[in-house]
Amino acid sequence: MTSPLDVHSLAGPYSLDALDDIERELFEDHIIACETCAVEVAELRETAAMLAEPTWAVPPPRLKTAVMAQISGTRQSLPSMRPPTRRTPALRWRHRSRSLVAAGVAAVVAAAGVYVVQELRLRDQRIVAQAETARIESVLTAPDAKLRAVNVDGGGRLTVVTSDNRDEAVVVLADATEPGPDKAYQLWLIQGSTPKSAGLLAPDQVSGMRLVSGVRGTNILAMTIEPAAGSLVPTTSVKAQVPLTG
Amino acid sequence: MRSEDRATRVPSPTADESAEALLRAVAAGDEQAFARFYDLVSARVYGLARRVLRDAAQAEEVAQEVMVEVWRTAGRFDQTRGSATSWVFTIAHRRAVDRVRSEQAGADRVRRLVPEAEQTPHDIVVEEAAAKMERESVRRCLKTLTVLQREAITLAYYSGYTYREVAQLLDTALPTVKTRMRDGLIRLRDCLGVEVAA
Ligand SMILES: [Zn+2]
Repeated sequence: MTSPLDVHSLAGPYSLDALDDIERELFEDHIIACETCAVEVAELRETAAMLAEPTWAVPPPRLKTAVMAQISGTRQSLPSMRPPTRRTPALRWRHRSRSLVAAGVAAVVAAAGVYVVQELRLRDQRIVAQAETARIESVLTAPDAKLRAVNVDGGGRLTVVTSDNRDEAVVVLADATEPGPDKAYQLWLIQGSTPKSAGLLAPDQVSGMRLVSGVRGTNILAMTIEPAAGSLVPTTSVKAQVPLTG
Repeated sequence: MRSEDRATRVPSPTADESAEALLRAVAAGDEQAFARFYDLVSARVYGLARRVLRDAAQAEEVAQEVMVEVWRTAGRFDQTRGSATSWVFTIAHRRAVDRVRSEQAGADRVRRLVPEAEQTPHDIVVEEAAAKMERESVRRCLKTLTVLQREAITLAYYSGYTYREVAQLLDTALPTVKTRMRDGLIRLRDCLGVEVAA
């Protein structure tokens, strides 16, 4: 399988739809956090799409008839998460929510809301984006949601909203210090003494939001600074840790 | 299969009707704008599906799915991430590739892998000057690539092979194929002058 270190090198094949399903999923998860690859893919896709030009062949007229007939009965998806509206899922949720825990985290989430948009926009063409937005919302509005926050070493704040019932957490990092050249913040779930990666932010990303699954029964969520491609185990000292029990 | 194809005039968009403007109108539910957008892109959506699938009937099905998806998801098009046409062709290409992979077994596709120099059916193509120039420049720029870059890119894009299959077909190491796809696309981009608004 592809090791984390050469995930970046899949940008070319991805732009040509030359990955199998598994690697495609892997890479689409990767470009959410990797702005370098996201920008490169946008450019390479624009170029790859030019390859459609020489294939020009006029379809039979009945195709247009069939398409027009079908669309007039087809509902359009809402133009969710488009930049002009600036109404992020998190902000929309803020208007709706009444719970106290939710109110406590609202400001934090609203501050990071813009990052959700930026990150999710990259996979806009996938249903996953909407599913993930919905999952984030469900955690934030879960009846058993718990909010915990700690300061990050060197500056910034790490906030975690967990729902044991949903077995998920929303992690919000705000205004941390620069991780350094070719470094990135990485999240860890720690149960006993075994750390498990829970997400990698983009290099240079100092604020952001992650949905983390499998939190039930986990003792600690921790954050370290790792090489930009991520590590399999934490290799530096912990910058922030949030106890998830009690 | 040719008998089903009929030459139709492909209207060119007026200046204030860019693909992006049309797509915005489509997102707002404008069926007439969608009809004009269809006229603008359908020959390339269908042509691309036909090139990848090598089958007119399947290409027609895929083209229909793609155009309906365009109608459904036009609201998600993001101009800052690329042009409206590349957005559509990206959807079309992925659908065609997914279809060819699920319906045509690997061995079957290898047999189909007869280099087709000019399979584009010129006789049914009515093209406007700008589109013709675009086609010609893509052909010309493809020729500026190294043989390995060109083969890696065309096997993936026009035949729907994964880079692993391409590596096998070209008897070349995996990392090399990945790299040739990337630097081949970059060379192509520089030759075509493709830009993405930041
Ligand atoms: Zn990357």
